[in-house]
Amino acid sequence: MTRHFPEETMFHPKPDPQSPLAVRVEDLHKRYGPLEVLKGVDLTAREGEVVSMIGASGSGKSTFLRCINLLELPSRGRIEVAGEELALCPGRDGDLHAADPRQLRRIRTSLSMVFQSFNLWQHMTVMQNIVEAPVHVLGLSRAEARDKAEALLHKVGLYDKRDQYPAHLSGGQQQRIAIARALCMEPRVLLFDEPTSALDPELVGEVLKVIRGLAEEGRTMILVTHEMKFARDVSSQVIFLHNGRIEERGAPAQVFGDPQSERCRQFLSRTC
Amino acid sequence: MIEILQEYGKAYLWTDGYKITGVAMTLWLLIASLALGFVLAVPLSVARASANPWLRLPVWLFTYVFRGTPLYVQLLILYSGVYSLSFVQSQPLLNGFFREGINCAILAFGICSCAYTTEIFAGAIRAVPPGEVEAARVFGMTSLGVYRRIVLPSALRRALPAYGNEVILVLHATSIAFTATVPDILKIARDVNSATYAPFSAFGIAAVLYAAIAFTLVWLFRRIEARLLAFQRPQSTGRAA
Repeated sequence: MTRHFPEETMFHPKPDPQSPLAVRVEDLHKRYGPLEVLKGVDLTAREGEVVSMIGASGSGKSTFLRCINLLELPSRGRIEVAGEELALCPGRDGDLHAADPRQLRRIRTSLSMVFQSFNLWQHMTVMQNIVEAPVHVLGLSRAEARDKAEALLHKVGLYDKRDQYPAHLSGGQQQRIAIARALCMEPRVLLFDEPTSALDPELVGEVLKVIRGLAEEGRTMILVTHEMKFARDVSSQVIFLHNGRIEERGAPAQVFGDPQSERCRQFLSRTC
Repeated sequence: MIEILQEYGKAYLWTDGYKITGVAMTLWLLIASLALGFVLAVPLSVARASANPWLRLPVWLFTYVFRGTPLYVQLLILYSGVYSLSFVQSQPLLNGFFREGINCAILAFGICSCAYTTEIFAGAIRAVPPGEVEAARVFGMTSLGVYRRIVLPSALRRALPAYGNEVILVLHATSIAFTATVPDILKIARDVNSATYAPFSAFGIAAVLYAAIAFTLVWLFRRIEARLLAFQRPQSTGRAA
């Protein structure tokens, strides 16, 4: 590791080991037919923690993240959010389904997700995108939701774009809107699925800056990323996945500075 | 030509002195059948685009039958065929409904338009980006909410250009309503032709009237598209107000 990291860019949230569990996933398996892409992955994130998941393409890190809110149905495992276990029951397809759709929807409102390709609703303006779910899922009044949305737009620096449509914004701006949309739900945990992978290199920085700000606020986040320097800077815990298994986990200084696993060492030497 | 307009102008436009005729009747046929077709097409298109074969296949059969047979034949079956069935005549409600040519015409045009509209909307529903649906689910929306708040508003907007075309086709299709004795523009033109033996003027006036309605509809849809599809256009002209 020859690259130098200036001290002021390093930020490692130090969550209280006594702080309550935000997310606990145990022994998660996912198979597509004969192909097992997750072979028993565990994750524990306490409130205020930033967990980064790194690994090569195809290592299963995005699939794992999408299993937490059941966008992908896991084949086996337990998921617990804020102390509440998500009730799962096996379906005829061999995957686990939500036993109670209402519980799933409730848990989903506390797990906002930011996608690689933003997934903003194209036919709505920026403001409509942000207030849609708070108004129609959480039941906030329009005025209340607008006030929150305006504050969030100021925070991500896009207040002047509030009446534009997503297609008229740059990728970096769209992703910052998507982050504001996720924050307006006041989630307990933010899930980031490669939030900068679809961006032009010069737009990556503006999005990372917003995410870094959220980490400094003490928000709980699980982040799938290819931005190694960023993961090293903001995480409290780094997980290296390889072929659906956790190969290495620990504090960023340990995973990046002194990886125990040979595969992790190889991966980092290729990407850092 | 001038005499025809003086004598039959009113009948071409809205009334022959006894009942609604001409342009007014054609517009009524158009609006009523489009309304019927649209209201039925929205739920049917959701079923048509569904992954569940028990929903999808019956709708596929419906659109296949009604897009696979000529509208003229459908109108004849509804107007002459159905009314000749004895159980229809024995039911006062059905008897009353199918005796009126206009009811049969609206029903035939409405159902046929519904079949085409269903396919247009179903195509638009399939074209809604899956990521936008995932985003809606992730924020805790119910399946119904996802359709009502995200999928349908997006799909119906994207379907507007194709739907505008369908509206023009239905306008032209209403010209066979004379078969069911409905006094629309073409029925008046045929009457004028038999009375004056001036087919070029009689049908020429009808053609001009249809063209005028069609151009108005095209203009109207352009206005609606400019509003509702602003999100798809380049920024220089598509800026939200």
